[in-house]
This record gives sequence, structure tokens and C-alpha cells, in this order.
Amino acid sequence: MELNRRQILKYAALGASLPVTSSLLSACSSGDDAGGASDGTVKFEGWDYEANLVQQNLDRFRQQNSIKVDYTPITSAQYVQKVVAEFTGGGGPDALYVYDDSLAAWVEGGYLQPLDGMAGVDDVYAGIFPGNAEAMTYQGKKYGLPYYTDSNSLTYNAGILAKAGITKPPASLEELEAQALKIKNAGILEYPIGLPAQLSDTWWSWVWALVHGSNGNFFGTDQAPIMNSTDTVVKDVFAWLQQAANKSKVLDPASLQLLPVPVDNAMKAERYAYTIGARYAARDYNDPAKSKAAGMIKLALIPSLDGGVHGTVSNTRMYALAQDTDVKDNAFKLVTYLGGLDADKKPYTAKFWFMQRGLGFAYKSMAADPEVTASLKKFADPVVYAKLAEIARPRNVLTVPWYTEFEAELHKVVQQVLSNQTTPSAAVASLEQTATTLKKKFS
Amino acid sequence: MTVKVPLRYRIPWKKIVLYVLAIGFALYLVLPFYWIVAMSFMHEVDAISVPPHWIPSSPTLENYLGFVNPSESQALVGGRANEETPYSLRNSLIVATCTAVLNLALATFAAYSFSRLKFKGSQVLLVLYLITRMVPGIAIIIPFYLLMRSFGLLDTYLALILSYTTFALPITIWILKDFFRSVPRELEEAARVDRCGWFRTMWSVFLPVAAPGLVAAGVFAFMTAWNEFMFALFLTSTKAAKTIPVVAANFATDFNTQFTVMAAAGVLAVVPPLLLALIFQRKLVQGMAAGSVKG
Amino acid sequence: MSVIEARRPWSDTAKAYALNAPAMIVIALLVAYPIVYSFWVSLQRNNLKRPRAKRFIGLENYRSLLTDDAFLSALRVSALFVLVVLGFTVVLALILALVLNERFRGRGLLLSLALLPWAMPGVVNGLMWRTIFDAKTGALNGLLSQLGLIDTYHAWLTSGTGAFFFTAMAQVWNTLPFSVIILLAGLSTIPSELYDAAKVDRAGAFQRFGQVALPWLLHPLLIVLILETMNAFRAFDTIYVLTGGGPGDATTTIALLDVQTVLTFTDFGLGSAYAWVITAITLLISIGYIGLLYRKGNFEV
Repeated sequence: MELNRRQILKYAALGASLPVTSSLLSACSSGDDAGGASDGTVKFEGWDYEANLVQQNLDRFRQQNSIKVDYTPITSAQYVQKVVAEFTGGGGPDALYVYDDSLAAWVEGGYLQPLDGMAGVDDVYAGIFPGNAEAMTYQGKKYGLPYYTDSNSLTYNAGILAKAGITKPPASLEELEAQALKIKNAGILEYPIGLPAQLSDTWWSWVWALVHGSNGNFFGTDQAPIMNSTDTVVKDVFAWLQQAANKSKVLDPASLQLLPVPVDNAMKAERYAYTIGARYAARDYNDPAKSKAAGMIKLALIPSLDGGVHGTVSNTRMYALAQDTDVKDNAFKLVTYLGGLDADKKPYTAKFWFMQRGLGFAYKSMAADPEVTASLKKFADPVVYAKLAEIARPRNVLTVPWYTEFEAELHKVVQQVLSNQTTPSAAVASLEQTATTLKKKFS
Repeated sequence: MTVKVPLRYRIPWKKIVLYVLAIGFALYLVLPFYWIVAMSFMHEVDAISVPPHWIPSSPTLENYLGFVNPSESQALVGGRANEETPYSLRNSLIVATCTAVLNLALATFAAYSFSRLKFKGSQVLLVLYLITRMVPGIAIIIPFYLLMRSFGLLDTYLALILSYTTFALPITIWILKDFFRSVPRELEEAARVDRCGWFRTMWSVFLPVAAPGLVAAGVFAFMTAWNEFMFALFLTSTKAAKTIPVVAANFATDFNTQFTVMAAAGVLAVVPPLLLALIFQRKLVQGMAAGSVKG
Repeated sequence: MSVIEARRPWSDTAKAYALNAPAMIVIALLVAYPIVYSFWVSLQRNNLKRPRAKRFIGLENYRSLLTDDAFLSALRVSALFVLVVLGFTVVLALILALVLNERFRGRGLLLSLALLPWAMPGVVNGLMWRTIFDAKTGALNGLLSQLGLIDTYHAWLTSGTGAFFFTAMAQVWNTLPFSVIILLAGLSTIPSELYDAAKVDRAGAFQRFGQVALPWLLHPLLIVLILETMNAFRAFDTIYVLTGGGPGDATTTIALLDVQTVLTFTDFGLGSAYAWVITAITLLISIGYIGLLYRKGNFEV
């Protein structure tokens, strides 16, 4: 067997002047991707959210198309690293999940191929919300079909609020703190607010939601950092967080040790009255089979510094096609089955996820689907739900290749703010410096 | 003039200090582990109760049975971590055992040369071996991954065995060369007089005497392989080769964390190497002993 | 007979290298090549995200470390981590080894217990301590409040110093056994006549330790120091699971930063430079230890 294109490409990309020995070695190796190509099996990878449901859906695809899919769920905490390692080594999947966070970097790395001109792609992009279409486009080319999208809400337990004599969710951050203090002082909960603030590789949506919620921005339109100059919202949000964690002590200090799932569990066990997160979580929180708080969980708009309604953040998760797939046709069929429209022009899998788990959808048509609206009513107020989608904005720095580095720094800085290791002004100054350095380094 | 207290009235301070220290250390060593053992036999509700139940109030085996036959909720945990746990234990056992054996084979020859032969460059070579261990794994993981990929060894036992062998080899050579030096030369000379060939001398005379050193080195190599995480994470991708630390990490970082199942997996991860260490406990200390006295 | 005479016996040097050949080949093929390769990469601007910007830049990556705040902070954290872990490990291991070197009932059991943490993979160790330090349901909180030492549950890992200290303690627990075995092995080789002689001289326990045991322990201590320094500098698994490097960068050691740089940020050039700095520091410290002992006149490789 001779060196295949994939390997040559990868070695070149790595600058792996892996000398003669390895060429010889790989010439002797059996070449484990050749086996996959011969019978058209699609190697498919995703992070491990509800892996069994994914498999169930893939079985249906296999029955319909008689295309084999070799599906590997990867622990979400290691998803990005593992996929990068595989692509680097030349053994990447044919089709895969992609975070909007990683899209720019993965296109730049040469892992993904554009879908422009392929069957049905333009229909999909015409049928989804513009924000989602934008999030899956990089340098004018379309790279993904939507898996799910969601925007962040203030999610609260109306039962706990009522016990403390509170009838309305807070509109401003000041009000949120006052309400939480009331709950705390009534002895109902020691820490009414919980947020997932453990360091990890996934984004901290709630920080972005708070900043967008007060109409703030970390970056200007040209992706220059403005959090320490023209935009004061970030600093004020940080100041509020620090106060809530250290002065009024309504924000649980244990947040620093919490990933999203433990926060979910705490909400279901009625150990928190408020959190900020994706809307779809409310479905689980309101499921009587899984949650003590079922029926009590409600969505609200993100409280802002001035009490006005300004916005929230949305994200897009997508299915993409690998640059070097040997089974492009089959892989594209799979990606279309998962993220696109079926023969009846219906987004089958997107609806499957909404009905099964309440994952938000990118398709405009689904909002009017009676089955969807009936299911939605069971876990959220459709008016608030739609309003959140309407005012949500994606992060405006996703197209820079250094986004991951910035997000990681943001986590550290916010942890320092929460644990009182820095001041809000020092925090935004350090963020600005990081962003400037990164921008220069990558220019 | 000091009064001499009759011996039997003297307070045995030494004994008291000794026992206090021994009990203190015993608690320090065992209590953390006891906590996850106890949790592994609890229902999730009891495991997260406040105040904690120190003894499982209604002990259950469901966390362990879940590895063989996961319930619906357990099946979702950790990217199928539950169903992968038994496989990963098997994989870890095979990988660690092979690493230990391969290590001993390679290290015995090398160590013998350092303990019996005077040769040019021996000191440099010994230090060179050790220096390869000072480079952190992260530095070599990418080239190593590419190498294994070009050998076609990704997601196989061999990739892990080879990497762990190189990790453990420098230290096992050091342990063994020290122990071999403590084996009297007269033994081999006597055997040679009996006209045994070199290999037979090694096999039937030298190695049995050197057994404690081999045990110490072997257990060390086994532990190195059993405990390693990062290379295993990147070199494996399915239950065909994933080792227990990789699967255990999935319990920690996953969407659906359950303390009790995580604890059960942790206990299973500790038992095999612990048994090994206990079986060889006495030889282990003997084996290290010769080495540590003199270089 | 002439045939045998013609076949000249191998020289010791040739024999020795023949015996070392298998080990050398394995190491050369699997480690030496990646090591050289990683040094080569450390001289490049090499980030997977920017394949087109890749080029040889000499020592630029190393020079940039001087102004790299993340790196300098991680270096400080690592240095402190090594000091704390090493200090506790050596002191605890020494006391435990001295206890185990005595004869008393239950000694065998204590020795078995001392091996327990060795059998625990770093990842599992991290998981275990996470359930113990947990802010809501942790065993430490439960124990301390039942003993009446604290009123309310604390979030132990959320202050910078707290997280650092508890992470270091989790690491110490895990690395203790190996040091204990080596030190105990060293103690067991001390001829008992020496102790008896000291007893006749009516030397106290401390004097006996200083005059008799300590000199015999220098070599094992050196091995413990080198190995534990190496381990603590590269400690990753336990910290990764326990705190992930937080809060802020309070537990972001150089090893954690390096893994993040290489695997999350895919900056191979800078990451390799970090790794080589770790190597150089470990090497220097080891040379320091060896030099120290060499001057004592009883070191011979």
C-alpha cells in the first residue's frame, strides 16, 4: 500500500518531516481506514450527549439507506482534543459534530470541507434562522447543517420564590440579588443562585448571557477588544458577580466546582432557586420522573444592569463533513439525515431532538408545528421562549482562530472574580491584554 | 541523686508513640479509600446525604451489577463508561502484565551488564536512560501518536505496552542493576565451574537469587502501566483497548455523574494492583533494599 | 581447539552493549525520536490552526517565555507545588518508614495499607478526593461538622490557597507509598549491630536516628528526592480531575498549562518549548541532588 493522500496531507500540515523510516513503516502498515472505505461505512463521531438516543436514530438511518455508520461517542470534556488528535494523525472521522466555537479553527486546520453546492444545502440555509446560518458560515462558505441551537434564559423555581413571597422574576441584576437575599434570609436556601463555573473546555454561556443581557460586548465589530475601554458592561457584570459571591453571598461559592450537570441536578433537587443556562434544560427540570422541582421551573429573560430588556446569547451546534473523507457521498447522506431536510422537506432529526429532549431548533418552520408547540407548553411559556430566541445574539468573535484561547482565559478571570482574587477593573484589563496579545500573535 | 525507677513501673513511652503513630498513619491511609468503598455499596440518595452515612444503611450491589448489565439510567453515564468498565479492566490487566514482563526481559539484560561488566560509557549510558524519563509525556505524545499511527497500532494493546515499557524501563534498569550487584559473583562462578552455559547459569542460578529485585522492578512496571492516563486517552478509542483510567475519567467529566457508580469503578480500578502489591509485599521491600544502599 | 582459540572472546564492552541493545533499541525508536522531534518543533512557529504560518523561528518560542504571564504564573505554582508535595512526602514517608522498621503487632497490616495508595491511578485518586472535598456532600465536611469543628459546610476547593493546599495533599497521599518502600528498604539494610552499639552508648531515639540511620538513608533519600521531584513537576492526572487548574490559575501547574497549550490550543511549537523547560529544570535539580550527595563521597553510579 502506498501512502494515501490523507497521510501525506497531514504530515505536510504538521510539518512532520517524519523521515524515511515512517514512510517505510506506513508503507508496511495495513492502513486501517482502507477497510472502512471499501464497504462505505461512515465513521461518525460526536460528544456523548444521550449516546443511546443517537444510536437509536442512527439505526433508523441505516435501515432506510443501508449505509453502515460506525458511531463513536466521545466524552464531551475531551471531545475537541481527541478529534484534533485524530485529524492530526490522519485518522479522523468522516462526519462529526462541531461546536460553533471550534468552526473557524477547524476550517483553518483543514479538517472540514464546505458544503456549498451540495444537494439541499441551500434549502436548509434558507429555512433556518439567520443567526444560525451565520454561525455555520466561515469566510463565505457553508460548513454545517444544524444539530441544535439554543439561547440562554434565567431559569428559576417559582415555588421557592413564592415561599419567600416573591411573585415576579427579577428584571434587573439588583433585583435578582435582592430576591435571592430575601430567600436566603427567610432561611429557605443558603445560596439561592448556582452557576456552572468549573474550568472546562466548553464555553460558559451564562457569562455571555449576562453581558449580552445588558447590551454589552467583549469585542467591537472588528473583533478588537472593547471590554476595558468603550464598553463598561463587562466590568459592571463582573462587579455584580463579585458582590453576589462575596458580599451578599447569594451566589454559591461551590459554583467554582460545578459543571453543568451537577447544576442541573441541584435545580431538580430544589437546592437552587436561580440559574442561567440553555432553555432546553427546563424540559428536564420540569419532568416529574426526574425532578422534584417539576412544574415549578420557569424561564425568564436575562436580568440586566438597568432593568431593561436587551438580549441573551445563542449558540449553534452542527454536523459537518471531514475534508479527507473517502466516503463523501454516504457521509453527506448521513449529515443530511441528521441536520437537513428529509424527502418531505421536514427536518426529521431536529424534531426528534426537540420532542425527545427539548433541544432548541434552527428551523423556522418548526416554531409553527403543532406537535412542537404542544410539547413546548409542557415545559416553558411559549411567549418567553420565543422572545429569548428573538433577542438572542451569537458571540461576535467566533470567527477568530484564537477564540478557544480567549474563552479559556475568560474562565480563569471570572473564577478569580468570583473567588475574590482580583478586582473587576483588573479583570477586564487582563482580558483586554490577553485579547490584544492573541490578536497580534495570530495576525 | 536520681532514683532509679524499677523497670516494670516505667511508662513505655516508645511503645505509646509507636502505636499512636501507627494508628494515625493507618487511618490516614485507609479512610479516604474506605469512603469510596462505602459509597460504592450505597444508593445514590444515601451517598449524597447530609450528614453522611459512614456505613451503608441499606447496602446494595446495584452499582457493581450495573457494569455487567447497566440499567437504563446507568447506560447513559460517561459515554457508555458502564458497559466499558469490565472491558477496560481486562485491557488494563493485559497491558500492565505484558508491560511488566517485557520490561523485565529487557531490563534484566541491561542491568546485568551494569552490575557485572566494566565497560566504557557505562555511567553515561545509565544517566542517559534516566534522562529519557525527565522529558514530560506531553512533549512526546504527538510524535508518539503519529508513530503509532504509522505502525498501524492505534487502539491496540501493543501501542500501550510499548509506550509504558519505555516509561518504566529506565527505573527498572536502575532497580535491577542495584539488586544484581548485591548478588554474590561466586554463585555464577560456581555454576560456571559446573560447566553450565551462560544462559543456563542466568536462568537457574542467578535469577532465582535475584527474585526480590525482579519482583520489585516488575511491580513497579505494572503500576506504571496500570496508572497511566494521558497516553491511554489518546492512543485508544474503543473498548478494544481503553484502560481503566480512561474510563474512570469519563465518569468524572460526563453529563450524567453518579457518585456511587464512579466509586464502584474506582474500587475496581484499585483492587487488582493492590492484590499484586500485597502478594509480593515482602519481596518488594527486599528487592528495593539492595538498590538503595549503595549506587 | 584452534577453532575456539580463533574465536576471540568478546570484550566486556562489546558484551555490555550487546546486552543493552534490546533496551537501547526500544528506547531509541520509541522515545529518542519523539524527543528529538519535539525539540525540533519547539524551534518552530507551529500551530495546527495556522498551517500556513508554520516556519522555523529559532529560539523565539523560548524568548517569548520571559514575558509569558501564563507561563510565569504556572512556573511559580509548579515550584510551590513541588516544594509542598516534596516536603510533606519526605517527612511523612520517613516517619512511616521508621515506624514500619520497628517490631510491633499489626506491622504487616500497616505495611499493606501503606501500599494502598500506590495501587490507585491518579485519575481515580482525583475522583476520590473530589467526593471527599465536595462542598455539598463531601466526607470531609461531614466529618468535621460531626466532630463539631465547623458549623456549616465549606467549599474547600474554591479559594486559591485552599484549592492549592488540598490538591497538594491529594497528590501526597497518592505518591507516598513509593517513597515509603524505598526508605524502608534502606532502613532494613542497616546492620542491627549499629543500633545495638548506639543503645549501649545510651543514645536517645533522635540521636540514634541522626548518627546511625541518617547516613545510611542518604542514598535512598536521594532517589526519593529525584523521583518525587520528577513526579511532582509532571503531576497532571490528580489536579486535572480535582480542580482542572482553578480557581483562576491557582492550581494551573506548568504540566497542566502545557497539556492545554498542546491539546486544546494546538500550539505545538510553544507547547514543546514549555516541555523542554520542564525537562531542563528537572535535569538541573537532579544534577543538584546528585552533586550534593557526591560531595558526601558515597555516590557511585
